[in-house]
Amino acid sequence: MHIYIYDTYVSQKKNNSTIIKIETRITDLGLNGKIVRLSMLSSLFEVVQNEIKKGAKTITVVGNNNILHNAINALAKLKSQNIIQKTIPLGFIPVGKVNNSIAFNLGLSLEESACDTISARRIKTFDLGQANDHYFLTEAIIGSRGTSVNIDQNYSIEILGVGEIGVVNLPILSELPKEAGSNAEDGILELFIKTTENNKFLPFPNKNMKQSIFSFTELTIQNKTKKVLLDKTFEINTPVKISIAPVKIDLIVGKSLKF
Amino acid sequence: MFNKESGQINVKEAETIIGPSIKVKGNFHGQGNIIIEGMVEGSIKTDKFLLIGDKSKITANIEAKDAKIGGEVNGNINISGYLEINASAKISGEIKASQISVARGAELNGQLIMNKNSEALSSQKKA
Repeated sequence: MHIYIYDTYVSQKKNNSTIIKIETRITDLGLNGKIVRLSMLSSLFEVVQNEIKKGAKTITVVGNNNILHNAINALAKLKSQNIIQKTIPLGFIPVGKVNNSIAFNLGLSLEESACDTISARRIKTFDLGQANDHYFLTEAIIGSRGTSVNIDQNYSIEILGVGEIGVVNLPILSELPKEAGSNAEDGILELFIKTTENNKFLPFPNKNMKQSIFSFTELTIQNKTKKVLLDKTFEINTPVKISIAPVKIDLIVGKSLKF
Repeated sequence: MFNKESGQINVKEAETIIGPSIKVKGNFHGQGNIIIEGMVEGSIKTDKFLLIGDKSKITANIEAKDAKIGGEVNGNINISGYLEINASAKISGEIKASQISVARGAELNGQLIMNKNSEALSSQKKA
């Protein structure tokens, strides 16, 4: 049974015509199923859990990065609690161009065109990063100022320049060089540090960006004021322990997958 | 790994890159190629190639298969293969290597031990 879960903003009036087109295309492709419209008070985790108990075979979320991140977390938590024992692929239909950067890199077109990808059912299994008790598919990011990083309890990293620290599982949001060989299938996370050179005589940072790359199995990030941003949607307080999650996620991806 | 003539660094095969604004403290052990352009305090160990850039400052004991050093190193260096020391290098500590080249202008303070056996041992292990 196909389950379609709509994010809250998708049910707004301005999206009516888009939703009609999506639902028509789903019907044409013979992928009809149950539609669940999230409200401000409903919990995506509970919806996913209930639908899986009722026998859902595919969960498809309709919305943006936010609902995709939450659905990945819901499925990963259910897997880690052994509530899910079979493979339940996660499909995604992106609606609107705002906050939908992950969809593009998964090879998904916007709105009704994404229904064809769901129909093709090209499933790929990805590693997930785990930050405390949250999961992320792409990256965990924090500013470098005041941040300390301890890797594998062997060494610590102090960042002297101004910039950004990213823990990368799927390198789709940062400008991680392809040579770093980062992908979400190798069971390894990469720490990517992007800094500008400090020049005390200039009021603005030097544009000459410097990059550092480390591979690791576990690290701890600490910052007294800043939070770690997961998948560009969800913030968590430090200290954050990050490692590869013991569970993986099965995603329905497009032909033009970017990695 | 690097272009010997131009001295340019090729990041293609580097597993770890420590940039110029980065300071690493502790035991830094890797299995791939390492490029260091920043600061390291503690120890550095890799089974492959180690490149220490001209502006880097290292206070650590170093172990690697092959290495090219252009920066400042305070600590013992143990290279099982080939060690190339650039003109900009300043090294204080014992150096062990099977093969070595030192550019004019490099500053070396410490004992230099040519360890021919380690190269022979490593080639025997490979065979």
